[in-house]
This record gives sequence, C-alpha cells and structure tokens, in this order.
Amino acid sequence: MKSFLLPLLFFILLLSGCSKEVSQQGSMAPTATLKIKFEHQFKGQPLELNTNYQNDFGEAFSIGRFKYYISNIVLYRGSNASVLPETYFLIDENDTASKTLRIPIAAGNYDQMHLLLGVDSARNVSGAQTGALDPLNDMFWTWNTGYIMVKLEGSSPLSTQPNNRIQYHIGGFSGAYSALRQMETGFPSSVEVKSGQTLTVTFNADLQRWFNGVHDLPIAGQTVAMTPGPLSARYADNAVSMFSVKDARVQ
Amino acid sequence: MRWRCTISTLVFCVAAASMLINACNKKDVEKGTTSVSFEVPAGFPQPVYDFSKNPLTREGIALGRQLFYDGILSKDGQTPCASCHQQFAAFATFDHDLSHGVDNGFTTRNAQALSNLAWQQSFHHDGGILNLETQPLAPLTAANEMGETVAGVVAKLKGSGKYQQAFRDAFGEGEITSQKMLKALTQFMVTLVSANSKYDQVKRGTTSFTIAEQAGYATFKAKCASCHQEPLFTDGSFRNNGIGINPFLNDGGRIRITRNAADSLKFQVPSLRNVDLSFPYMHDGRFYTLQQVLTHYRTGIQQTPNLDPALQFGISLSNTEASNVLAFLKTLTDSAFVKDPRFAAP
Repeated sequence: MKSFLLPLLFFILLLSGCSKEVSQQGSMAPTATLKIKFEHQFKGQPLELNTNYQNDFGEAFSIGRFKYYISNIVLYRGSNASVLPETYFLIDENDTASKTLRIPIAAGNYDQMHLLLGVDSARNVSGAQTGALDPLNDMFWTWNTGYIMVKLEGSSPLSTQPNNRIQYHIGGFSGAYSALRQMETGFPSSVEVKSGQTLTVTFNADLQRWFNGVHDLPIAGQTVAMTPGPLSARYADNAVSMFSVKDARVQ
Repeated sequence: MRWRCTISTLVFCVAAASMLINACNKKDVEKGTTSVSFEVPAGFPQPVYDFSKNPLTREGIALGRQLFYDGILSKDGQTPCASCHQQFAAFATFDHDLSHGVDNGFTTRNAQALSNLAWQQSFHHDGGILNLETQPLAPLTAANEMGETVAGVVAKLKGSGKYQQAFRDAFGEGEITSQKMLKALTQFMVTLVSANSKYDQVKRGTTSFTIAEQAGYATFKAKCASCHQEPLFTDGSFRNNGIGINPFLNDGGRIRITRNAADSLKFQVPSLRNVDLSFPYMHDGRFYTLQQVLTHYRTGIQQTPNLDPALQFGISLSNTEASNVLAFLKTLTDSAFVKDPRFAAP
C-alpha cells in the first residue's frame, strides 16, 4: 500500500511544480465587456487634423498628429479593485479603430474606473515590448529609455522651426518630472454589468486645454518639447486635464 | 521484501520525475530549441539582467550573432553593430576616437567596449538606456549611426527567407517582431563574458602576477579601485573625471539624461576589462594611450563644475607606481575572449 502512496504523492508534488498562470481577475470569469471610447475635440467640436484652429491665447495652429498611451485600467466597486491585466493601448487620432477599446471584464457592480495616461514606470524599463508598446510605433525614445506618453505635432505660423513645426513629445516616468498622470473617474452611480452586457464609458478629450488646461503654455513660448523634465511635466498636467467622462452606460 | 519495496518505489519515482520534467519542458521540445545556461564566473555577483523573460537558447544566441554582424540592420546595408564593435578591439572601434556611421557620418562619442553586459545597470556613456534589450534601438535609429527605423528593419527581416527560418528556429512560429529581434540580439550580447584574463587566472590561483603587476595591483586597489571596482572594474556611477568639455562636441554627458546641473560633465565609469585593447579612451576618445590617461589623472585634472571629490588633487603616482599600474592594467586583457570563435562573425 505504502509503496503505492509514496510515488503518488511525489507525482502530485511534481505536477504542482509545473507552474500555471493565475488569473489576475481571480475566480471571476470575464463574461462582460468594458468598452472605452475616446472622442477628441477642439472647443467642443470633433477634432479635425490639419485644420486651422486658434487657442485661448489667440494663436493660430493646426494639429497633424495626436497619439497617446492609456494603460493600467482598474475598475472599482467601493474599495474592491479589479485590475484588468495587460491593458496597454495606443490611441491615435488618425486611426479610428484605436479610439475604441474593448476589454473583457467580470460581471458585477462598478462605481469607479482608474486609467493611467502613459505607460507605467516598470514597463518603461522592462526591455523589449510588443503590441501597443512595440518601439516601431514611434512612441519610444531610443537614446533616453522611456515611452512618449503623449505626442502632439502640428504647425503654427508662430513657430520658427522647419516648416513652422510645433512638436510636443511628452514623457518621463520617474522622479519629480514624471509625465505619468492618473485619471480617476467616478460613475454617477454604481453601474451593474450583467454577463453578456457591455459597459461603455465615453471620454471627451478637448485639445483646447493642451495650451492652458492647468499651466499657460502659449505656442509663442514653446514650439517644441522633446525631453523629460519640468516642461514635459507641465504639458502632462494640461494633457490629463483635457479628459472628462461624457457618458457611462450599460447595454 | 521491505528493501525491494523501497527500491521499486525509488525506480518508479525517478521514472515519474523524468517524465514530468519532460512535460514541464515540452514547450522547448515543440519549439525545437536547446536551452543554454548562463554561467556566472567565480567571484562575480549575480547578473542584473533578467534571464527569466528571455531564456537563452542556442538558436536565439545564433540569431542574435547573425543580426549583430549583418548590415541589414542599417540604412545602407553595410553598417552592422559589428562595424563599431570589433571583436579584436574588445568590441570597441579599433584606433578610432569617434566611429563612422552611415553616409560618412561620425558618431559623437567613442564606441564602448562590450563585455559582461549582463551585469550592467545602465548603458551608454550617459547611462540613458536602462535595459540591455532596448539599447540596440539607439544606434539602429540614430541618423549618424545605422540610420534605420525600427519598422524598416522589421520589414527587411520579414522579407528575408534566411531570417524567417532563423526566427522560427529561435522563437517558434509567429511573425518577426522588433521584440524578438531585440531579445535575440540581447541573447548574443550577454554571452560576451570576459572573465579569463591573466587577472582572473591569478584570482583563481592558476597563475601568478609578475612583481611589477603585483605592485601595480596594490597601487590600483589603493588609488583606482574606488571607481573601478573589482571584479567588473566599474562601480557603474557617473563622475566628472576632470577632462574638461570638448569644445567641438559640447557633450555634457549625464546632464543630457537627467537635466540636472549637478550631473553636468559626468560620464559613466567604464569597465577596465580589456582596456589595453579598447583605445582610444574617454567619451570622445581623446587619449590614445593608457600612458596619456595616467598622465591626465596625475597632472592633467581640470577644475570644472562637479569635479569628482576623489580627483580634486589628481591621483599622485610615482613614475614607478604608474608603470606598475600600466603593467597591471594589461593583465585585464582576455585574449581568449577577443579570439573566441563563438563571438566572431558567423
């Protein structure tokens, strides 16, 4: 009898040695969907690329490219957090599909959502990445490790750069000048998402606030920001102030 | 009877164990890769590089080596990593203060010798790169180095039958990505371990220093080793060693990364392994001989902002001490490393 039990025990021990990945969502199977939509605007109207705009300083400019990272999405019910694993998204104004995120979530009640505008510091230094974080997306600094969290490029007659270029590459993930900004969004009331249903959260991002959402950063003062530092951190404050929740509904 | 029972139990356990271990490694069997273990030389600390996310395989290292020596990574097809990192020069550029990139361009810094990269925390003279895997992106995309784009290189690799096969061999099915390319390059780069110099052999007790080398080692430990710590011969810190700014390059070093005035004119302390082969020296390659470097530390220190406190008065060395230190530094040459066929062009 004993001679049977011993190897059996050994067998079980060894089996448990083969590691399995534990789902970060615990036992709750993701049977519902979280849909996050980003609507880019300028002064309340849908953003159009390469269109002449005027900011609140009366400065003329146009936007040619607008891209940013959203990561680390967490849903809350009270203090209960469900971290949605591996949520890294590159949102690109020029790519309609990129502006709608679809993430499997567990059915349940939720009253808050947290997102990171940018890529968390750990992932900046974890070596070669792929997918949204692939360096070929042109959102990774090659000479000073780190992701460009938000990229806004365009032109303005006020710029003396080649082709009147304005170019803001906002990044930096550590220290006082980190450009990472947390977005914390409470839903008007707790929302119940049943199995098979979709919770859709729509954000507005109004680029009017890029220049003065928190800090006054007229084009006349800055046509280019390309490195982590105090200026980048101020643009990050303005950038996160562009976002507001327009709507959260369950269907 | 009892003995027999125990023996049969043992036999069964061993059989079961070997079956199960095979099961655990099944993935490797499916991929057809052969895993390679990373040997930490005696006396070395644990490596910094996280091998768990990029386990070494014979096929991965071979692919990395092929990429390292292939101009396909550069815009003009003729400027591989190896054009600036030459094995016989300890993977620095032989006899060049600055190296050549594409379009007859010059780099703005002296190419660094490559060895023992798995122990290095940050890369480049200014420490701007924080993970070995993302380092190759810098020379690859710099207009004055390899002049390519990440997307451009990945597209070229995807279009090459040779690389389609080599990537499949190393990483299984699935398309070629920049991540796989960088992981393969890293696998090759971490294998560039230099730990078989005369110094290492003396440490292992298989040979002994000459009298001059021994005296030089004592002086080195007393006067140089606070920055050039054994066994890697660097402490990885950033320091202003008093060479003064190069007016043509105006390179402030570490300040470019941190934007902190206190880091102006600071550069990362380089390893001294194979130092006799990796001339010229300093971030701009201004000194062609080790003799010049020692003369700088003895009498040439310039009082510039953020000068390292240890160098305030230079390093006092008698002529005998200096020549002994030179003799010691030559014991850091690892001739097996610079001739190792595993590191040569495939």
